[in-house]
Amino acid sequence: MFSFDPYDPSVDADPFPFYKTLRDEHPCFWSKQAQMWVLSRYADIVSAGQDWQTFSSASGNLMTELPNRAGATLGTTDPPRHDRLRGLVQHAFMKRNLESLSGPIRDIARTTAETLRDRPKFDFIHDFSSVFTVRVLFAALGLPLGNEETVREKAVLMVQSDPSTRAKGPQHIEAYNWMQDYAARVIAERRANPKDDLISHFSAAEIDCDKLDEREVLLTTTTLIMAGIESLGGFMSMMALNLADHVRARQAVVDHPALIADAVEESLRFNTSAQRFRRRLQKDVELHGQMMKAGDFVCLAYGSGNRDDRQYPNPDSYDIARKPRGHLGFGGGVHACLGTSIARLGVKIAFEELHQVVPVYRRVAEQLAWMPSSTFRSPLRLDLTVH
Amino acid sequence: MVNIVFIEPTGAKMPVNINEGWSLMQGATTGGVDGILGECGGSCACATCHCYVDESRLGELPEASESELEMLENVAAERRSNSRLACQIKAVNALDGLIVTLPDTQE
Repeated sequence: MFSFDPYDPSVDADPFPFYKTLRDEHPCFWSKQAQMWVLSRYADIVSAGQDWQTFSSASGNLMTELPNRAGATLGTTDPPRHDRLRGLVQHAFMKRNLESLSGPIRDIARTTAETLRDRPKFDFIHDFSSVFTVRVLFAALGLPLGNEETVREKAVLMVQSDPSTRAKGPQHIEAYNWMQDYAARVIAERRANPKDDLISHFSAAEIDCDKLDEREVLLTTTTLIMAGIESLGGFMSMMALNLADHVRARQAVVDHPALIADAVEESLRFNTSAQRFRRRLQKDVELHGQMMKAGDFVCLAYGSGNRDDRQYPNPDSYDIARKPRGHLGFGGGVHACLGTSIARLGVKIAFEELHQVVPVYRRVAEQLAWMPSSTFRSPLRLDLTVH
Repeated sequence: MVNIVFIEPTGAKMPVNINEGWSLMQGATTGGVDGILGECGGSCACATCHCYVDESRLGELPEASESELEMLENVAAERRSNSRLACQIKAVNALDGLIVTLPDTQE
């Protein structure tokens, strides 16, 4: 009998055969292991994402939610509170307001890429994407340098889950608590010495003459750091993997860097790093002959919707000429990713500079070690050889 | 399905059948309409799904929210009295046949 367990390491490694069965045979599936419904077809995911009144985020959006986080972040609140919270931070993430960052991002990318010169082999994650993403985040938020490696390590750990207990383990909770303490220190520092930056504004902001709840300030800042490092880094490693495995695509973007933007969109579709998020039903919904009850949790499997042949012909082929508009690589609807512009800008610059130094690369290991996570998907290590 | 007729900047007519409940932006981007970008994915954060709604039917649409009005200040093309963001308009049967004209540029 078919089962779908988002905690199973084989799903971390390759969820796509499971997704195909889900889409074709069980488009509204109850996962016993996850204790939630799974929606896997593109159209159903878009419809659910659009209907936030029915598919609420207020009980948490991570498949394995972190304690005390639901209700205090952008991803875990519903409108109208969500819209007001988002209104406070959104401005800083708009494309036109990020232009001043492109110079510093390029400097970081160039310096990081330069460390790879003349190396026959390197780990893309340890040697490039983690160094790059953490420095970009620190530049964007104006964080003091010195403990970047620890911040990165905790950000990566806190999104993981334990495959045996199907829950967060003590090490994940410890990382989450560490990150909250770190965010609290940054917030306190900005309140004492306000600057013209995102965290200073946010930590002093009010909604409807009502100061933000301290938990909202703390956990939203914690989430921004987590997403800025883990989500951006995870996506970059998936993009590198795609280009390492698809020689012609890599050659095309090396020869014509303007095509990197197309490779980014196709990578977001083909190897979505935020594979699954969850919602909670506010009323009974009947779908594909199944009755989902109010109060039930529902998984929106973005990574599956992006491989749905009802939407994208030949979906398992990585084709940078596809221009997959409407993909779910950043989610969709009111909760679509806040960082779309900075992610697109950062990844584009990172690969432009990487390709100046390392124009040819392929992966070393056939089998990769994948991060144990019910929500996100990326390898823990990606060794590349430059021949 | 709700039929919405998009007029591309080239003047080409693009009728698209959109699932009820989807936004006009989602319908346009998945339906092959080029004049809408929708870069932010529908969270009212980028102003690249700017459109001009048929003035005679403007009153049939729910009013723009505060965040849509704020984001409309960021559109790249001329903002007019019938300017809206397509990600904020849901396809409902009452809007069947609506004509939506797209601006020359979104960025």
